[in-house]
Amino acid sequence: MFSYLLDTHGSIKFPNQGKIRENNKNNFNFRGTAAMAGVGRLKNRLIAALFTRFPSLGTKAAQKVETMAFDATPFTRMSKPLSEANLALITTAGVHLRQDTPFDMSDPDGDPTFRVINSGARVDELMITHDYYDHTDADRDINIVFPIERLRELVSGKRIGRLAPRFYGFMGHIQGRHIKSLVDTYAARVVAMLKEDGVDVALFTPG
Amino acid sequence: MGLIQRVVEEHGIATIGVSIVRKFSEEVRPPRTVFVKWPYGHPLGEPGHVNQHRAVLENAFDLLETASEPGIIRDLPYKWKRETYG
Repeated sequence: MFSYLLDTHGSIKFPNQGKIRENNKNNFNFRGTAAMAGVGRLKNRLIAALFTRFPSLGTKAAQKVETMAFDATPFTRMSKPLSEANLALITTAGVHLRQDTPFDMSDPDGDPTFRVINSGARVDELMITHDYYDHTDADRDINIVFPIERLRELVSGKRIGRLAPRFYGFMGHIQGRHIKSLVDTYAARVVAMLKEDGVDVALFTPG
Repeated sequence: MGLIQRVVEEHGIATIGVSIVRKFSEEVRPPRTVFVKWPYGHPLGEPGHVNQHRAVLENAFDLLETASEPGIIRDLPYKWKRETYG
């Protein structure tokens, strides 16, 4: 969930999306140090568990997190009804195939890369690598962050036309130097793959 | 999440996001958002509560199909663990 955090500002330009506002609030430190990576990971998990137990603490912490702010928003109209559309699911909940490389949890700025997940994957082939939210419940039922079975049911029920062959897992909590590569490299790469697959609509879910 | 959503939308693919941190959506301003005031790690709800997951998805798809302007954040009325879902 702690995606798009930002330590430094001003270096990223988005064409046709308006100007980026800067928010100079105190940075909420939710990170371990590199030298204490193990302790840091444990600390992050404990804080994440605390936020699940006491959601108001999480909301309070989020108020102090710096985000990127925008004045304008891109907009694409639906080109066809959902019942005829090709849909892809993209999550920032740290979901990936068990056989795939886990996200790098030792980098305090997060891991901006993504994992491809075939949309026909069984739920027991999937797992979550993410220390910045408590995924105990999602480990029991991954649909609460990555509703892959619900979407297949909606295709059977003709609410959605079809599912794209490839879905995508990112981790949230991307900060500082990784923001630019997240947007310019990895998000751009996903866009190219969505185009290859003829995707009409994309559903996004956080962790 | 919103940053990636913006990039995808900008390249001609309509997007919808489920948010659990309203502040992030207000600042990043993704194209379309449904917000649930639920604990982190539970954007679709509770494990095994299929009708709850469907309710969030149906709200998301309704906004996807009907939004006529960018940046709408629709607050879903569901209270955590205090609702009955069809």
